[in-house]
Amino acid sequence: MSDNCTCREPSARDVGRFLAQYASWMTGCGATCIRIEKNVNRIAATYGKRVELTIMPRHVQMSVSDHGDEAECLTLNTSVKATPISFALNTRLSELSWKISDRKLPLATARFMFDRIISADYGLHRWLVLLSVSCANASFCRLFGGDAVAMGVVAVATMAGYWLKTFLLERHIDVRAVFILCSFVSAVLGCSDILFSLGSTPDIALGTSVLYLVPGIPFLNSFSDMLYRHYICAFSRFADATVLTCCLSAGLCLGMLAMNVGMF
Amino acid sequence: MFEQIFQDALFSAIAAIGFAAISQPPVRAYLFCALIAAVGHAGRFLLMTALDEPLHIVPATLCASFAVGLLAVFLSPLSKTPAETCLFPALLPMIPGIYAYKAFGGLAMCVLRQSGGAFDRYFSLFMQNGLMCMSLLLCLVIGGTIPIFIFKKVSFQATR
Repeated sequence: MSDNCTCREPSARDVGRFLAQYASWMTGCGATCIRIEKNVNRIAATYGKRVELTIMPRHVQMSVSDHGDEAECLTLNTSVKATPISFALNTRLSELSWKISDRKLPLATARFMFDRIISADYGLHRWLVLLSVSCANASFCRLFGGDAVAMGVVAVATMAGYWLKTFLLERHIDVRAVFILCSFVSAVLGCSDILFSLGSTPDIALGTSVLYLVPGIPFLNSFSDMLYRHYICAFSRFADATVLTCCLSAGLCLGMLAMNVGMF
Repeated sequence: MFEQIFQDALFSAIAAIGFAAISQPPVRAYLFCALIAAVGHAGRFLLMTALDEPLHIVPATLCASFAVGLLAVFLSPLSKTPAETCLFPALLPMIPGIYAYKAFGGLAMCVLRQSGGAFDRYFSLFMQNGLMCMSLLLCLVIGGTIPIFIFKKVSFQATR
């Protein structure tokens, strides 16, 4: 094997395979295109390779060649890893690219470290996340002018909806159906402030009850990609986020219709 | 006034921590996310209320998100995370969720109520809120990303 660290410069094929996997995980965990490009080029340069990278909505395509010998180049195509957005993973993979570059790590070591990074668990405990998200959405309600009752209603609606989201996604239910169902449940619970005349800002409670589902990070990522002229990736991320927003809005409307609550 | 600013900062910090938890940042980044979000949101609140000529929400959001971007870039070497790890969760409390909700509601009502007057009213509701939502989103991202663009070296070497 050429990547068994006895050789300073591994083959383009070995480097390409590693980089394709690396880029696929970086894209999947929600890194911006510019960061993926920089990290991949940094690693490639360490191994004396040149990379041309194309990040597509569901695939990453790259051409790898030796520096100074662009006549022979290898093209690889890999699917984007389906993984939840994880800044911890993004951080660890970015750190890895610097370690490879600064310490001139052999490819076998880099691959070993990469495998360890992608197999680690980075999330907080699920109940802690549930509690944090509920408090966050209740605070969001407060920022929009909701009173204490509205905050309580939003916290309960968020807790139920987010728990359902985790439960359904673990069972590999389609994410769009999950968003409709979760926003429906949260909206129905959010309506209780209106139906039982609990507080003075029931409309804010209802409007905020589903906002924990807004795909903020994909929206921000898509605009960031657009600024760096990665239009295809930007558009696909924007389309994904828009579809999810439509699903959550549909669930909200269904919830309001089911509870016979007027919209405006 | 001070109490209002403090409340705004506190609740936006809680919102940033909670929403950040969904996207799994490293544990050391939570404190930075909270701090940056509190400064950004409270800054926007100040610009919109405390000035002699209060700013409209759109320019106020642009200024606040630029400040958030600067903080995220210069604090990222301390948190040893990519700048986006602190930047994006810190921007989330400023995401115009209520405008998006009203825009979609207006659109849905346009479809359901086809009679002239009602349609005009809901279409105007849809357009007003939809435009506002898009403008705020653009301001958030442009303001937040420009510091990363300007200080590329700092932001891309934070994990070194």
